[in-house]
Amino acid sequence: MATEHESVELVGDEVVANVARAALFAALMGAGAYVSFPNPISPIPVTMQMLVVFLAGIFLGPVWGGTSIVLYLAAGAIGAPVFAGGSAGFGALVGPTGGFLWSFPVAAFITGVIVHGGFALRDYRVGTVRLVGAMVAATAVVYAFGTVGYSVVQGVGLVTSFWTVAAAFIPAEAFKIAAAIGIVRSDAIAAN
Amino acid sequence: MLTYEPGDSLAHRLDPRTKLAVQISFAAAGLAHTTPTGLTVLGIVAAASLYAADTSPLSALHAIRYAIPFLLLGPVIEAAQFGAPWFDPSAAVTPTLASIRVLLVFFVAAAYVRTTAVRESRAAIQRLVPGRVGVAFGIGVALVFRFLPVVRRDLLRVREANKARLGDQRRVDERLATVAAGGLRRSFARADALALALRARCFAWNPTLPEIRLTRLDAPALVLALGLGVSVFL
Repeated sequence: MATEHESVELVGDEVVANVARAALFAALMGAGAYVSFPNPISPIPVTMQMLVVFLAGIFLGPVWGGTSIVLYLAAGAIGAPVFAGGSAGFGALVGPTGGFLWSFPVAAFITGVIVHGGFALRDYRVGTVRLVGAMVAATAVVYAFGTVGYSVVQGVGLVTSFWTVAAAFIPAEAFKIAAAIGIVRSDAIAAN
Repeated sequence: MLTYEPGDSLAHRLDPRTKLAVQISFAAAGLAHTTPTGLTVLGIVAAASLYAADTSPLSALHAIRYAIPFLLLGPVIEAAQFGAPWFDPSAAVTPTLASIRVLLVFFVAAAYVRTTAVRESRAAIQRLVPGRVGVAFGIGVALVFRFLPVVRRDLLRVREANKARLGDQRRVDERLATVAAGGLRRSFARADALALALRARCFAWNPTLPEIRLTRLDAPALVLALGLGVSVFL
């Protein structure tokens, strides 16, 4: 064992709480890959993952929300079965849908910055327009990264890429935005 | 599902840092040389990695089955045209080569997942990412592995309870909100309990990690990683 000989340096209370929350959110993100619902308007099922990205930004704020999704990506890269269909490994990050994975931490960060109006954590119960705006901006970032990622990895044009990986999936995001609003408004969660 | 399995294959005995280096340089070399010759060489490297990890290509393929439609769709859509001759196979060449490259990268990554324990990966992360960021990152990743099955079960339970109350006849966004809110509530409760437990056990910035050490076995693999890395610039 690589024993440390210096004296023990304790981690501050606030950091402990944030690391624990970020790790649990990352696990929730991974577990979300296994939960899908039939989509009423398309044959592609609706999964929970984008909803968790929104919620990470809303409840943990830009910094720790983004961090939690980075933890999710790192855990997946070293072997946790958290990517689409319970797959794992570094391959997913440089695979055809890798652009989406890289966009998730950015999307959580953007949601957090817009909802909290900066990097610090404030009350997340803001106006509906601001919440929807934050999530629409995050969705745009996710699909932009995803489309460019598929285009680069697969060597196809941006238009082909958009029709293959984005067009059919975008309408279902409305359900996730509605669900996130429902959760924030319901007072079911008493965070902070 | 392709996960870590204990064993004594060559890849099991390599240092996790060496294996990470091989994966990253392999992916970079693939991007730089997506040509028939380049992919033949990389194909040999990928086959050798799977052999060294004692993993069958079929189980690796099965693990990434969700990605296969995307790999096939790219070339087909790119070759299809509106108007005569409707299908232009020459346009499909680049996307096909790209799909093969992605498949090879998946194989090499599968070899890593199959042969590297979480604690080894965590030790590698904490040694590669310096300072407190590395420590927090390492522990965070280890906690994700620990809590993934627990949170999955939480979500499943909320979903079943919801279904038993005819929740599956409600609108999709309402179902999503119910399951996510339930999962979120439980995750926050678990995070609070975990934070308390970590403090009670003197969660420190300088924990004791398992030893990982570069051995003579790592030398050829590191040379391979270096070679692949250098090839990117040729």
